[in-house]
Amino acid sequence: MRLPIIQAIYLKEMLDLLRDRRTLISMLVVPVVVLPLVFNIAIRVTSRMQQNAEQEAKTMPVAVHVTTPAIRQAIEKAGFRMTERDDFKDAIDKKEIAAGVEETASAPPVLNVYVDSSEPASAAAGDAIRVALNDLRDQTIRGSLRNSGIPESVLTPFVVKRNNVAGERKMAGALWGTMLPYLMLLLMFAGGMYPIIDMTAGEKERKTMEAFLASPAKRSEIVLGKTLAGMTAIFLTAALTLASMVYSITNNRVSTRSEEIKQMMSGIPLDAHTIGLIATLLLPMAVFAASLMFAVALFARSYKEGQSYLTPLMLLVIFPAFMGGMPGFHLMPLLCLIPIFNTSMMIRGVLLGDATTLNFAVTLAADLVYAAIAFALAARMFNRESVLFRS
Amino acid sequence: MIQAPGRAESMIQVQEISKTFSDPKRGTRTAVDRVSFEVKAGEVFGLLGPNGAGKTTTLRLIATLLRTTGGTAIVSGFDVNKQPEKVREQVGFLSGDMGLYGRLTPREILDFFGKLNGMDANARAKRMNELFTLFEMQSFADVRTDKLSTGMKQKTAIARTMLHNPPVLILDEPSSGLDVPTARTIERVIMDNKHAGKCILYSTHVMEEAEYLCDRIGVISDGHMKMIGTMDELRAATGKRRLREIFLDLLGLPADE
Repeated sequence: MRLPIIQAIYLKEMLDLLRDRRTLISMLVVPVVVLPLVFNIAIRVTSRMQQNAEQEAKTMPVAVHVTTPAIRQAIEKAGFRMTERDDFKDAIDKKEIAAGVEETASAPPVLNVYVDSSEPASAAAGDAIRVALNDLRDQTIRGSLRNSGIPESVLTPFVVKRNNVAGERKMAGALWGTMLPYLMLLLMFAGGMYPIIDMTAGEKERKTMEAFLASPAKRSEIVLGKTLAGMTAIFLTAALTLASMVYSITNNRVSTRSEEIKQMMSGIPLDAHTIGLIATLLLPMAVFAASLMFAVALFARSYKEGQSYLTPLMLLVIFPAFMGGMPGFHLMPLLCLIPIFNTSMMIRGVLLGDATTLNFAVTLAADLVYAAIAFALAARMFNRESVLFRS
Repeated sequence: MIQAPGRAESMIQVQEISKTFSDPKRGTRTAVDRVSFEVKAGEVFGLLGPNGAGKTTTLRLIATLLRTTGGTAIVSGFDVNKQPEKVREQVGFLSGDMGLYGRLTPREILDFFGKLNGMDANARAKRMNELFTLFEMQSFADVRTDKLSTGMKQKTAIARTMLHNPPVLILDEPSSGLDVPTARTIERVIMDNKHAGKCILYSTHVMEEAEYLCDRIGVISDGHMKMIGTMDELRAATGKRRLREIFLDLLGLPADE
């Protein structure tokens, strides 16, 4: 193979891809513009809906069938107007009241709070009433104890404290280990899909393949140049999407949970060692993804046909990528042989910090073999006249 | 069959070449059946035949896009079956579909194919300027190809074919769908290349063009070579005057009223 030829093919493919509207949209516009926009809108809408529900809950009265004055006072103190209604369900359905509270005479008395949980305003009213009544119950108990001369400490004869022996790294790893491998692998396949269809079925559809094949470039050089361009698209899409997601989440000032989310994000283990290990795992996986999609898409006669061939492949990737990131699987050499699942599981292991050298080596070796097989398959398909000149 | 012996060097030697396609739906189909001919340096050889006769398949076999299922062809001394990459270095191939990258400009396309042919940056720039002048392409050399007219695209495709100055040109219907001025430019280029000693094998449906340009003509039908010869030889063998009449006669079709 000749490096200058491969380089020329790679650069031409990249130039061609970057001028294609469809590829640009899937590779750059979606991760950099659409994703943060959708994320921000979703957060804003959710936050606004929550606020509206809380405000709406306070504008509607609460129906009470309560005789104990302290309970009525507690509900009033929580900011609710009180009214009388016989049929709580009907009144809540008609949005005449936010909730209903009924006291039944028993020992001890039972307070039934009626809400419609499917209605945000009614649910918010129910939550606020429950908090107010719990506070009242606590105050009543403490008052009774004080009057009886019993110290409040009887309420807490002992304290149960749960101590997490997992370090910060392990906790962050457990959280991100479930999500990140799945996301990375899915993005790799999704990011490469359009560019690879464009370079294979698209080229056949535009009838540019024949002149290319008539050039002195070897078939293997063409496959390698195109696969490298596919890999670049894969990495670019995955990196941009992840960076965009992290940025959107950490810079979101609207959500009431933003501080909590920021703290969670800061726990991602992003030291050079971890990144290096994950990148080492992803490199053969990118070759595997690009070559496999190349071999499949090459069989298609048109862009549209290529899409219908690659979509089921995406579904085949989702399951092992998701399962590999799930807790409960113990790293062992045999599991490290299952493609995609092994990489997902190993990324989780690296994030948790419990990946052994043996398992890492087995995963890497297996992925290198799968990448080589997929590349050989792509090259073989590219040598088949029945595939290249399929009409 | 009339074969023209000559003293000039034979650049293309097609020897009993065959191509059979297997299709699960259509079964086995022989597109080219033991076809033989030669084309010499400084010669224009026209391959004529109706649609589906096997012209494009023959050209693709010689350009090593397809592998033969029988026989072989020697191009500039290289065997199409044994040294396909070497053959491709010797050949400039123009496909019937032009095959231009719509998102690239003519300059970018030519530069890319120059690199594939192992030309250095200076050689590429020099040759591109020559071709842009020859085909009057300066005004659209930096415009995306999908914005160009059919004539401009065909000029770009032919410039790409000639870029590495190959000794053999294989042109599949180079004047198809072109207006008269552009078709005349293409004809002029073919003649200039012939005079420069290139071996030119081309297919066409335009009888007047073939009559004017070709030193020898081969008529192919149903994958078989019906006859090869100069215009005089074809006239003598068929008793017809015009190439159109000769062509119809060889296909066993009635001549025009």
